[in-house]
Amino acid sequence: MPAWVGPVASYMAQGLWTTLLLALLSNVISLLLGTVIGTLLVFPNRLLRGLLRIYVEVWRGLPIIIILFFVFFVLPIIHIEVDTFVAATVGLSLWGSANVAEVVRGAVQSVPQGQQEASAALGFPWHSRMRYVILPQATRRALPPLVGLVVNMIQQTSLAAIIGLLDLLEASQRSIERLTLSGGSTHAVPILGAVLLIFFVVCFPLTVLSRRLEGQRH
Amino acid sequence: MLTEPVPANSALGPGFLADGGYQFHWGVLGDHLSELWDGLLRTLAISAIGMAGSVVVGVLLGGAAALRIPVLRTLIWLYVEIFRNTPLLVQIFFLYFALPDIGISLSGFTVGWLSLVLWGGAYNVENFRAGFQSVDPAYVEGGRALGFPRLATFRLVNLPLGWRAALPSVTNTLISVFKNSSFMIAISYPELTETTVNLVAVSFRVFELFIAIGAVYLALVWLMSLGARLIERRFAIPGGF
Repeated sequence: MPAWVGPVASYMAQGLWTTLLLALLSNVISLLLGTVIGTLLVFPNRLLRGLLRIYVEVWRGLPIIIILFFVFFVLPIIHIEVDTFVAATVGLSLWGSANVAEVVRGAVQSVPQGQQEASAALGFPWHSRMRYVILPQATRRALPPLVGLVVNMIQQTSLAAIIGLLDLLEASQRSIERLTLSGGSTHAVPILGAVLLIFFVVCFPLTVLSRRLEGQRH
Repeated sequence: MLTEPVPANSALGPGFLADGGYQFHWGVLGDHLSELWDGLLRTLAISAIGMAGSVVVGVLLGGAAALRIPVLRTLIWLYVEIFRNTPLLVQIFFLYFALPDIGISLSGFTVGWLSLVLWGGAYNVENFRAGFQSVDPAYVEGGRALGFPRLATFRLVNLPLGWRAALPSVTNTLISVFKNSSFMIAISYPELTETTVNLVAVSFRVFELFIAIGAVYLALVWLMSLGARLIERRFAIPGGF
């Protein structure tokens, strides 16, 4: 193995760790927050629904990169000091929760209306209807697209490199620059190839899982 | 970060925007209108080529996949899985920074549209394949029983019905292609996002610039969703299929 490989690999391993942590955090926050928002999108109160709809449409409609820059630039101005990791987590979670909310809303609304009416007739208040009747049935419909969203979000973590987070992609970029400056070849093909391969190894099994869940539904 | 000092007594917090503690200078948009306009045009150019190209790739390869043409089918599967399971941003980096090492140097514009065609194409192959294969097998068997060859049956039955079934997922992909044209900031191609971030760096007008281009992106995305819904209604198959 050539001499340049060792240091680059250990540097990129640190970046990979940051990427995995970012992916885990933003996925957990998005799934929790998105499920709550998505459920409340069918809440009887019209004002609340309207406000949440705006939240969903704005963060779903904007390019993620704009969201990340916005969070990164604006939070310091309103005197909230954040590092790139926090900014990336917040930005990805805004985008992710809006997308999860839309999937959850669709799944909740796909449960036949009779289920709502029957449980209401049995005296269940709104939150118990959701908790015990609607959400368990909606989960089965929401799961395949949610796994797809998780894959998407893992891939979008790479955008954190653009606001300067030292993640897997940024570590690979800096390695390439360093190798170039030290006068040798850039080795960009094997280094970026490795980044592609790592993402593929993480994402492909989840994609297969999503497809399998989709198949079970029919 | 501001060019004008923020009044010391202004409440800096979540209510910051509403109470006017930040002095807006919307004039910055007028000062840089021509740069922003050029950026928007570049965004639209690479998006348009990316969208059109990804539809062509999607129909051709999606059709080949639905027809189960041996060997070609495996190659298409490989292409789709590789591009769908790796981040677009890393694909862009690879095209721009790694390909020159093996003697292929592409300009920012070329990487811009090409990466969108390849990435969107992979999604559209799946969208169209699923659409073509969702056509009721009885129709396809009917065509075959009438003596139409496989390819003609595909052209006369699967294609006209299948593309309609694929339409919602295809338009979703196309909207993503448009939004993801902003990724070209990574290779400093001066589309709308790159232009704006550069302007923020020299003028420090963070709110004005980001609110303005955020509004532009949102307006275009919402316009596209509206158009997609109209097209879906226009081409809906009466009574379903």
